[in-house]
Amino acid sequence: MIFKLFLVKEIKKFPLFFLLLIFTLLLGTLGLTGISVVSEQVKGKLEANARELQTSDLAVSARRDLLPGELEALNTIISPIKHQTYKIVDIYSMVRHEKTSQTRLTEIRSVEQGFPFYGEIVLKAGLFQVDGLYISNDLAEIWEVAVGDDLKIGDKVFRVKGIVTRDSSQGLRGFSLAPRIYLPLKDVETTGLLRPGSTGSYARHFMLPTFLQPDFEKLRDQLLKVLPDSAIKVTLPQESSDQSGRVIGYLTDFMSLAALIGLLLSLVGIFYLYQSNLLARLRDFCLFHLMGLDKKHIILGLILQFSIVFLIVFTLQAFLIVPGYKLIYPILSNSLGIDLSPEVNLKAVFSQLPFLYGLTLAILIPLLLGLMRTSMGLQLKAPKISMGQFRFYDFTPFIILLWAFAAFISHSIKMGSLFFGALLIVFVLSTFLIKLIQWLLKKYVANRGLLSPSIEAGVAIRNIIHSGHKLTLSFLSLTLSATLISLILQLDSLIQKEFTLDESKPSLFIFDIQEDQMQELQNFASQKGVKLEGVTPMIRARLDKVNGKSFARVDEPSNLRTREDEVDARMKNRGINLTYRKDLSPAETLVEGKPFPDEAPQNNRPAFVSMEKRYAQRLGLKIGDHVTFDIQGVEVEGLIRNFREVKWTSFYPNFFVNVEPGFIDEAPKTYLAVLPQGKKEIKRYFQREAVGKFPNISFVDVEELIQKLTSLFDKARKAIGVISWLSLAIGLVILYGLSHDQVYRRYYDLALMKTLGFSPGALRKHLLIEFGFLFLLALGVGFFLGWLMAIIIGREVFKLGWSINWSMILYPGLLLSVLCLVTILFSSWNAVKAKPRELLSDS
Amino acid sequence: MMNIVNVKKSYGQGSSRVEVLKGINLKIESGETLALVGKSGSGKSTLLSLMAGLDQVDSGEIWIQEKCVNKLSEKELTLFRAQNIGIVFQQFHLVSTLTALENVLLPLNILKNPNALDVATKLIDQVGLSHRSHHLPSELSGGESQRVAIARALSTSPAILFADEPSGNLDEETGAKVMDLLFEMVKQTKTTLILVTHDMDLAKKCSRIILLEHGSLA
Repeated sequence: MIFKLFLVKEIKKFPLFFLLLIFTLLLGTLGLTGISVVSEQVKGKLEANARELQTSDLAVSARRDLLPGELEALNTIISPIKHQTYKIVDIYSMVRHEKTSQTRLTEIRSVEQGFPFYGEIVLKAGLFQVDGLYISNDLAEIWEVAVGDDLKIGDKVFRVKGIVTRDSSQGLRGFSLAPRIYLPLKDVETTGLLRPGSTGSYARHFMLPTFLQPDFEKLRDQLLKVLPDSAIKVTLPQESSDQSGRVIGYLTDFMSLAALIGLLLSLVGIFYLYQSNLLARLRDFCLFHLMGLDKKHIILGLILQFSIVFLIVFTLQAFLIVPGYKLIYPILSNSLGIDLSPEVNLKAVFSQLPFLYGLTLAILIPLLLGLMRTSMGLQLKAPKISMGQFRFYDFTPFIILLWAFAAFISHSIKMGSLFFGALLIVFVLSTFLIKLIQWLLKKYVANRGLLSPSIEAGVAIRNIIHSGHKLTLSFLSLTLSATLISLILQLDSLIQKEFTLDESKPSLFIFDIQEDQMQELQNFASQKGVKLEGVTPMIRARLDKVNGKSFARVDEPSNLRTREDEVDARMKNRGINLTYRKDLSPAETLVEGKPFPDEAPQNNRPAFVSMEKRYAQRLGLKIGDHVTFDIQGVEVEGLIRNFREVKWTSFYPNFFVNVEPGFIDEAPKTYLAVLPQGKKEIKRYFQREAVGKFPNISFVDVEELIQKLTSLFDKARKAIGVISWLSLAIGLVILYGLSHDQVYRRYYDLALMKTLGFSPGALRKHLLIEFGFLFLLALGVGFFLGWLMAIIIGREVFKLGWSINWSMILYPGLLLSVLCLVTILFSSWNAVKAKPRELLSDS
Repeated sequence: MMNIVNVKKSYGQGSSRVEVLKGINLKIESGETLALVGKSGSGKSTLLSLMAGLDQVDSGEIWIQEKCVNKLSEKELTLFRAQNIGIVFQQFHLVSTLTALENVLLPLNILKNPNALDVATKLIDQVGLSHRSHHLPSELSGGESQRVAIARALSTSPAILFADEPSGNLDEETGAKVMDLLFEMVKQTKTTLILVTHDMDLAKKCSRIILLEHGSLA
């Protein structure tokens, strides 16, 4: 009976409502799954880039070779799994070119057969094989080396077999900026470079064709257990600290958030739609009740009905998502500049099904509980039908599920909790604000008549004061929608800003410049028509004491509890590079503490020290801590005065520790400098000449790598932009629905006021005053709260600095305000046509 | 006072079109109390909506105080209605966000009556609700709501008061009390009353009873 009543008759009776419900739900879920699908695709593509950079699925590496016991442990785990492997040894060494008598810091990469599993090494001519020496193009150009020339690496002379024009494994990480020379691993021992003390890395790379992502993570955990020395790293491609890994992180986090926001917006829409529908059908439910159907069965029927709607939506989605994606993926690929795959990972789409169903049902629980509380018998004789009110605590299941879903979809409890917490704050603040406004308006009208300030405004103000619960909910929904839209746009802007590289990008890194060479090099550069920038002194030091106590050294590794502790402790033991500079560089921002004072330093106080914030946090240092540096045997006292943040996309020299000038200026040091981008030929000419004149100075060409990174940032920016505007579009549809619903609910009131003598113009004016005030206030508050949320989420999740993009507030704010006002006008246009006749008894 | 000339009205389209009023002719004198009775669907409320200027005739004319209301523009009609017509609905229809006093004040303020507050206060007092004047409709009983609606309908001293099943949503005792009040106030103000009702006892309180059957006057 219930089945027939709710699933057949009701759906037949209200086809428009069910169509609208299906459309709204479809919009939200399609937004979510669509973004998930694109997100998966982009992520997959960027992960493939990361795999190409690492060249394998998994790498076990250390600054030493594995010990026999460790190798055995590794083999025990890996052997049972189908795999391929090779070993790579990277050594950084000064290599001298005999013909030009030039020495350069280079990365000697020794590889085995099979390298690379992913990516490619493209040569000027021929194919890369692991059978000889291959040299990078920029090195070949500087040394004027050609295929067939001899080059001495360590103690052995090799013949150049090829010149590498593109190397997908070349990243932007520390010394990997150095030009690369490939050698077969079997030959590297004969070079004599593998001496104790050589700076190098030993890595075993694996390709595991049958593995999926969770398996890799499990495998990594297993390996970390059997290889307890913290010096050994087990790396998966996406975890590499390379910039592309970071970009993937930004993108996926942002996309998850956008997907969640899209869904939440459509849930607000569904809530409204369902509420209107329940009200419209309440009299029927009362009749069902009168005829013997108890409330529980009515609600069960409604849940059943909703489940069918959800099933229809999901079926439609399954049918739409694949052809829909196939239709738009060429456009997406083109606009994002990423070659996306035409295949859709349906598993990822369907895995969200239970959560989606639960979440959507949970938002309807307050309405269903409101129905439970309705005195159905009384409704049939009441002059105006009204549903039992829901309480705000009825939203508890939805709130809990939302938190869980936020964590699930963002794959991060921190991000999920932050998002959820921020929403809770929006909720509390908006409720407080609307209550405050109602209270203030009540005070205002207390001794004033309806005509104050005008009849239209007088009625509008009273509507705001006395609409109570309904008004709070509408205001909340509007503020929430505006907040979510603003959040996504502001986050977009913050990330875009982060991905926007400065106009002035370096082209050449120059380091190891001796003190007495600096002036000469600068003169030489200006003679060659170039100007050096970012000239920074670099002093090698060691942090010895903090607040007079010897800084924790790791003498007994076994005492350390976790691998992370060990890594931190190892960091403490490492030497650090200091510089001295009074002002911040353009890439730096002071985030805590005070800048260095203007007056000359006094000898009776320690030197003020500025630290990079995250580095200081890792070492557990605070502002006001006394630190003692050991600079080649001399102790220098410092007092931490401020923390800085360094823009990570800046490629100019940056330092963890900057000491106030006047204290360490006389210490032995070298200089760093960069050559900004300019004409390639001039750079090449300068580099070639300078290498000959200053053989000890290292020059590293970073132009191509920065271009690669710029292109990656560009793709990420486009992807984020597309998603933001998609979310805005969903938001607009929902806001339109909300605005329309608000006016439509007043249909009878409008008809009544018309009967009492309100002219159509006055009716419109009062609607505009009431809803215009509420909508603009909600938009203003929402945009402000969205900006605040963006700062918090940007800071905590994306590690971004805060800034305000007025154009991202102003233009979308204006667009939304205009849309809302147009909607009110449009709806009021129809609403003022409300027929007073309908107020009569048998209408 | 009021003259209805060959008024016709139908609803629906094509084959489903129903002729609700089939040429009504009726004259009502000033100060008269008239009961319009008839079965459900006979066209009582339709006729009331046309007479009160709430709906448009298909053909025919409705004259009230020398004005043909169906020839007025929407703006003129709104003003005319506000000045000359008061309506009491079965379902009270008070503006839910205004207090009892404000509901009575509203039509007076719309007409910019300079003594609005005095008039409204006096009327609220007359209907015996001065102690409830600052209460919202949701805080009033059905009888109280209908009394506010009567005060509101009479606040502008309309020439004609239309009452659509005014006791239909009240219990018998309350209904009788409210109707006594209505007739007393109409008598005091010499307002013309046109009452639509099923209740023959109530209809008998009027000076004239008109029966409407299948869209025609019997």
